[in-house]
Amino acid sequence: MTSLPLPPHSSPRPLLTSPLPRSALTHANGIQRLPIHHSEPHSMAVPASFDQQPGADSIDHGVTEAPYERRFSPYDFNGGTTLAISGPDFAVVAGDTRMSTGYEILSRDVSKLHPLTDHCVLASAGCKTDVDQLRSVLDIRSDMYRHNHQKDMKVTSVAQMLGNTLYGRRFFPYYSFNVLAGVDAEGKGAVYSYDAIGSFERTHFSASGSGQSFVVPLLDNVIVHKNRQDEKRELGAEEVVEIVKDAFVTAGERDIYTGDKLEIMVITKDGIQKSTFPLKAD
Amino acid sequence: MSEFTASETPESIAPPPAGFSFENVKRNAAISASGTTGAYTQAKAMKTGTTIVGTIFKGGVVLGADTRATGDTTVCDKNCEKIHYMAPNIYCCGAGTAADTEKTTELIASQLELLRMSTKTQSRIVTACTLLKRMLFRYQGHVSAALVLGGCDINGPHVYQIYPHGSTGKLPYTTMGSGSLAAMSVFESEWKEDMTEDEAKGLVERAITAGIFNDLGSGSNCDTCVIRMDGSIQMNRGALKENPVEPLRDAIKRSDRFNFPRGTTAVLSTEFVAHKTKGLSLDDVDVVTMDTN
Repeated sequence: MTSLPLPPHSSPRPLLTSPLPRSALTHANGIQRLPIHHSEPHSMAVPASFDQQPGADSIDHGVTEAPYERRFSPYDFNGGTTLAISGPDFAVVAGDTRMSTGYEILSRDVSKLHPLTDHCVLASAGCKTDVDQLRSVLDIRSDMYRHNHQKDMKVTSVAQMLGNTLYGRRFFPYYSFNVLAGVDAEGKGAVYSYDAIGSFERTHFSASGSGQSFVVPLLDNVIVHKNRQDEKRELGAEEVVEIVKDAFVTAGERDIYTGDKLEIMVITKDGIQKSTFPLKAD
Repeated sequence: MSEFTASETPESIAPPPAGFSFENVKRNAAISASGTTGAYTQAKAMKTGTTIVGTIFKGGVVLGADTRATGDTTVCDKNCEKIHYMAPNIYCCGAGTAADTEKTTELIASQLELLRMSTKTQSRIVTACTLLKRMLFRYQGHVSAALVLGGCDINGPHVYQIYPHGSTGKLPYTTMGSGSLAAMSVFESEWKEDMTEDEAKGLVERAITAGIFNDLGSGSNCDTCVIRMDGSIQMNRGALKENPVEPLRDAIKRSDRFNFPRGTTAVLSTEFVAHKTKGLSLDDVDVVTMDTN
């Protein structure tokens, strides 16, 4: 097999150096880098090593003490929170509609939810342009699947496809934090949670994005019943929707990137039911 | 520290050394340089990503501020006070590191009080401004306080803006903080000379509201403070409350999963220790009937 000639712009620069700026990575929860799943703590370096600009930590009111190199960053963090909860015969998926950068609101009405099939929705927070591109790739791939196999993709297949698509960009990841929700072939609610480079897992519930750290402990207790001795009971779709609203109102109180409007989709074997709920606009 | 401290304080009653302590600076720099991971990280201070404004009007000054305090992207305080007391006729809005704005205004307020006792005259805004800028310049911007100083004195109503490095400006109206551009856009389109008090208050409220809704560092309520030439003050905490959470909570049917009946938390063991580490308890006292004759 002959190797293809390298495109003229390819440089000998090692691809392992990510152009992610520090600011894009310190966004949420004090996480200093893309939160990639590890089986062991400190087991390996994250593929993207994120260069810290000199003086980023010192107090600098626009006065530069030492010269430093400016670099274009292809990544931006556009904020927002997504959440999905599975039930016996349904899945609830939700996301706020604020899109922001830094201290600026870019839009108050941009959806984070993207239906991929009639019973499967992808919820993504992160860098909006990467999310758009990822959605477009997934749409094309699921169309091709439908043409090749004469049927819609099952949720399990979509989950695997998303994992593969993300891992395809292992060394220049899509800056997107995904939650996939739907109902599987048996009619059971299914929720999958992902890291940025394709590690995924079927879970009972999953939250991601800027308000993640406020929502997860709440749902660990209320949905998964962690640290509780009282009796657990099955929750219906309507009750779960109310809990989701509560969780987002709470996240909106404390996370500056969560707000404006909440978009909720309830997925059952019969299809997707959409609703919205207002959130605070400050 | 104070510019008005007597130099001949007797050694025996001398207070601890005034001013900041720098004794850990070299130690911290050494730990940072050693590259120890995880063991030591610089403590992060609470910032007030803020909208603060001030304007003069016909008979005085109106100051305004939002009430959100943030730590990184988390809201630390939803209803904090950013309009600080300086003197009976002077108030000061603060943006930047919360501790710096609070302590700087407190320190200068104290110096102004001593000066008033010494001179038996009303404090002037320009004096407060000079004390603040000298303090901030001395620390070369490391004291992150961006201030809007306003008040009325013998020379009329005044508004000053003071930057963290110590530069100042005397202006008819000004804005500071992360929401300063949103607020200034309101001032630049609507401000006019010799406004009435109500016009000025309305303008300040609109400017702060622009910051609250368009700047993610600002939020919650709007506080205002009117300082009039007749010496009266009207501090209005929560002049505008445009972000109540109650209507949202009321619209939600609260799940009973949020209620925690007795026994929800597992009890691993119980032990009772009487509170008697120091002093007396009832066991040590002979109870005598009180003489009520």
